[in-house]
Amino acid sequence: MAVAAQSTDEVPAQASTREMSRRRAVRRFKLSLLAPLIALFAFVLIPVLMLQLYFSFHQWTVYLSSWWEADFVGFDLFQEVLTDDRFGWAIVRSLSFATGSTIGCFVFGFMLAYLMYKPFRGQAFFYIIFLLPMLTVPVVVAYTAEMMLYQSGPLNDIISRLSGVDFKPSWLSNPHLALFTVGLLEIWNWTPFSFIIMSAGLAAIPKEPIEAAQILGASKWRIFWEVQLPLLRPVILLALVLRFLEAMAEFPKTWALFQGGPGSATETVPVYIFMTTWQYFQISKGAAMSYIVMLMMIVIVLGAIQLLRREKRALDKMYAPAPKAEA
Amino acid sequence: MTKLDLSRRTLLQGSAALGAASALTGTAPFARAATMEESIIAAGKAAGPAAVTGMIWSPYLVPMQPVIAEFSKQTNITIGAVQDISIFDAPQRAMAEALSRSAQFDFIHIDSNMIPSLASAGYLEPLDEYMKKASYKSEAVADYGNFMTYGGNTYGVPTDGNVHIQYLRKDIIEDADNKKRFSDKFGKEPAMPQTWEESLRIQEFFMDPSKDLYGSGNLRNRANGVTWWYMIYYSAGGFPFDDDMKPTLNTPAGQYAVDLYLQDKKVNHPEAANWGTPQMIPRIAQGHVVNCLYWDGTAKLNENKEKSKTTGKWLYGLVPGSDFSGKRIVRSMSSPLAAILINKYSPRKAQAAYMALWLGSGKNSVPIVSDPVNTFNDAWAKEHMTSKVVQDAYSPGGVKAIEKNFEVVAPPIYLTGYLEFQDALGKNLSEAYVGQLPAKDVLSKTENEWNAIIGRIGRAKLKKDLASYKAVMPKRLVPA
Repeated sequence: MAVAAQSTDEVPAQASTREMSRRRAVRRFKLSLLAPLIALFAFVLIPVLMLQLYFSFHQWTVYLSSWWEADFVGFDLFQEVLTDDRFGWAIVRSLSFATGSTIGCFVFGFMLAYLMYKPFRGQAFFYIIFLLPMLTVPVVVAYTAEMMLYQSGPLNDIISRLSGVDFKPSWLSNPHLALFTVGLLEIWNWTPFSFIIMSAGLAAIPKEPIEAAQILGASKWRIFWEVQLPLLRPVILLALVLRFLEAMAEFPKTWALFQGGPGSATETVPVYIFMTTWQYFQISKGAAMSYIVMLMMIVIVLGAIQLLRREKRALDKMYAPAPKAEA
Repeated sequence: MTKLDLSRRTLLQGSAALGAASALTGTAPFARAATMEESIIAAGKAAGPAAVTGMIWSPYLVPMQPVIAEFSKQTNITIGAVQDISIFDAPQRAMAEALSRSAQFDFIHIDSNMIPSLASAGYLEPLDEYMKKASYKSEAVADYGNFMTYGGNTYGVPTDGNVHIQYLRKDIIEDADNKKRFSDKFGKEPAMPQTWEESLRIQEFFMDPSKDLYGSGNLRNRANGVTWWYMIYYSAGGFPFDDDMKPTLNTPAGQYAVDLYLQDKKVNHPEAANWGTPQMIPRIAQGHVVNCLYWDGTAKLNENKEKSKTTGKWLYGLVPGSDFSGKRIVRSMSSPLAAILINKYSPRKAQAAYMALWLGSGKNSVPIVSDPVNTFNDAWAKEHMTSKVVQDAYSPGGVKAIEKNFEVVAPPIYLTGYLEFQDALGKNLSEAYVGQLPAKDVLSKTENEWNAIIGRIGRAKLKKDLASYKAVMPKRLVPA
């Protein structure tokens, strides 16, 4: 055979050429997959971020000049934002709103996912019902809720009738309740998101550790607490982080219901940035604010990635094959 | 007395000569002068056919469509693509258009208080030349037409008066028992309040929350409440800036206005802190309010039997005034005053301008402002005040109240940066209303925020604007 006749030097050389050609093909394939993303970055995101960066360092007064004539002001705008009380309060409101609603979404989402963990008759119907809130447009959620939440509206009425107590909180006009009201709507709207992630997480848990625990006589609670929950930790973390980031950016419901009021009770970060940029037309200050918020979010995401890695390492360690005993 | 001896032949000869003379060029006095509407059509035809694009909220556009159709028939200028944007969201969108120097819209329909900001951003086309070519003269009641001017130019054509008038439940104050109770307490029968204090007294006396009847139906939310504050402040003799553009809110007149503004909490619905028109207008029309100041279009709704439970039960009048300054001053408000403005960057600006002028004729706008279903465009022209159709829609009392209030109508902050000035004040008033900020701090805090805005926009620029602001303020203390 011709192959058999090849010298020993030629075989690795040919193999190496084939390998190189294969590598090039793989690289081309990877590039072609990434190309749209790279184009999006290069032609859309990067220019926008650059423009925003330009505005963050240049004071542009929209009534006085064109944007390319704006004065360079260095870090003045960042300083202005960081010393702005309203921005500080907006951060506090956004953080508390995001934390509260994320926990709410997670708790309810996890509970629903656990209820749906084992198959039962009519499960598909419940899946659809549980997912419906997420498919509802946030502005529709806001306007529908508005009708329900008036002081003499259906919600207070139903609670009063069921409890026998005259239940009359002003969900929409009490400044102490306003942000809480948006939080409740956020939980209703986005619990399905946590439900989906946690359902996927629960479905992916290997059966062996649970069966082993059952054989060893562990109670359901112990299996949940000591087997399932530790295995779900990376998924939980992911669900919390994604939901938190989304909640920090909540705007449509807050704006549709309150426009920052009553008083300044619902002036969250997105609301304040919108007002600064499009109500006060302080484009430069709005850009500086956006950068600061973006940096904040990057820190949160990097922290979350670190935590996820740690969780993964812990899981890998848990499932690593035991070292073979020496002979 | 000398008797003229005119034979039939002489009369016929004279008539023929006069007819011939009229036909000659340069003998205009003998010809019938073209009406304003005819001149607009002629100017529109000369501008050439086009399909103009615009940004307008559909409740405003719908009643305009038959009027536009007539214009299109005669000039071949039609409405092309229209973006349906609420009047409350229009300022942000318009400003984005201005900043990008976009030619997407030929016209925008927007709160005219945005004129200084949009003109300063270079977006608006002055209309004076078009008005001259079309022999257009504003037919607005009193000095209301001035609201369309800025820096000596005219930039808009009004379509919606939106003046505040006073509403008082006639059936409540004319009830014999109520009359007696009120007279026993105050020594006089209840009547349309002339001052803010009288208004508060009537509201307090007749409110009965157990029957879901509240004294006041005024707005106190962050976005709109500030309009009511201006009325009190202006009527107390206040004006928000001195000649050097230093804020002058923190004055006795300003504090008087804040105190009265906050007293509304005693007589308004507990949820008023976050209520806008979608919540308050139905309450007025369905009979849950004794007395309030509101946009004039609500009279049209009240008098519509199919939509209101209070038809024929209202008295309409002049808004309350104040003697705080030592003399009686009454100030109503028109805000947002919806008007058509033309985009300077548009390639069809002439056609759009003539269409706007056509819609802004008193005669043409009668069906627009009297539409009983789409009630957003409110009466504003002299011709509306005498039109039977308009009187049927608003009631004769309603129309009379509109006319009176127009004589003393004022704008909010008519300066570049209007939205920013307005929101700072609105936010602080709202915070005080819900107890987040002490009443005594509202004005000092607002002044600090306003100083920052002035610094940013430029004192010199705003000082120039101030002349336009002062020019649109009413000249009379009270209606004639």
